[in-house]
Amino acid sequence: MQFISQKPHFEYLRKKWTSRHKATQDKFWEKHGGALKQVAIGSLGGLMLLTPTKLPTVQTPLFASRDDVLKGYDKNVLLAQSLSEKVPQDVAPLEKQQENDLTDTLSKDFGFKVTAQINSIRLSRNYGLIGGEQHLARYPGDTLYDHADTSVDWAKYGSSGMAPGLGAWGYFATSKNQFDETAKQREKYYLAIQTFLAPGFAENVAEYRDFFKFRKMLVVNPHTGQAVVAVIADAGPAEFTGKHLGGSPEVMDGLGLADGPRKGAVLYFFIDDPKNQVPLGPVKVTARLAQL
Amino acid sequence: MNYFYSHLIEIDSVFEQLDKMGLSNEEKLHLGQLLDSSLHHTILDAILSELSDSDKRAFMQHLSEGKHDQIWKFLNEKAIGVEDKIKKVAKDLKQELYEDIREAHKIK
Repeated sequence: MQFISQKPHFEYLRKKWTSRHKATQDKFWEKHGGALKQVAIGSLGGLMLLTPTKLPTVQTPLFASRDDVLKGYDKNVLLAQSLSEKVPQDVAPLEKQQENDLTDTLSKDFGFKVTAQINSIRLSRNYGLIGGEQHLARYPGDTLYDHADTSVDWAKYGSSGMAPGLGAWGYFATSKNQFDETAKQREKYYLAIQTFLAPGFAENVAEYRDFFKFRKMLVVNPHTGQAVVAVIADAGPAEFTGKHLGGSPEVMDGLGLADGPRKGAVLYFFIDDPKNQVPLGPVKVTARLAQL
Repeated sequence: MNYFYSHLIEIDSVFEQLDKMGLSNEEKLHLGQLLDSSLHHTILDAILSELSDSDKRAFMQHLSEGKHDQIWKFLNEKAIGVEDKIKKVAKDLKQELYEDIREAHKIK
């Protein structure tokens, strides 16, 4: 990362922690490098942060950093090219033909069924402006710091803050003890959707409320091809904001929209996943498109 | 990213201290990366120090596959009580980081 800070207290910490980091690395590889020379590593997984300074066969990136957003960009750029011919210039509701064309394309490219309608329920639009939301409280007593698994999480997503109210369906778990990985992923990759504008909502509030709760969606930044699988966990934003949906800090990061105005045009469709087989988080196109 | 030892580590208090320093997001990210990587090396060093060379290689293979259940199953067989050691080295590192932050505040 190349940047210059004028803050002496930051510079002090940067130098001190860089020096400590290097000493820790050197000690690690000096002690264990010999034994690890022969390790054949298939995937990086938990090795992401291991930084070999002198040794060996394990060649890993220095850090999991903000640059990791670009990993999705590289592979999904072909999708962006494909979408550029299909997505209208204006951020407006899609025509039926455009909708069908896009859901077909996305279903094929991602390998799961993407659709604008399930059980005759659809949203008022599937192409709109997304804005960055805050974290949501996941269980009573949850704190902003508890949301970060790592220091990088804290640095990337902590500044978004935590919403003073709860999501549309309340907490994700009734207590910290009940809080599990599913609940954690749902808050991490959540969307606020204008469910109240869905055709038929006013006449079927209870049915629609249950249908939309944690409904899985695919969100795609058509300009970059970056895409995230997320769930609906809140209702909003209000119409006067000019935005059509909101994304958690992690969703915005995965879409490449975390910086600057934290806003941009996205496609968003339901994922028909009755067996719950599609994991939440950033998603890449399948080999079919990558081979084009 | 969630690491196999995340549930043993309490590092929120370091974030709280750093948040009092008026850092930019870029500065936070830079320090956060150093912190994560230092912690990772420190913890893996503590674990590997308990293992034979062949077990070190087996452990690293489990680590590369990222299956936390498998990692812990392996460690519970090969390095009994390693959780306490992980907690201790993380706590020691955290203490050093606190002291650095305290010194940095004096410079501010």
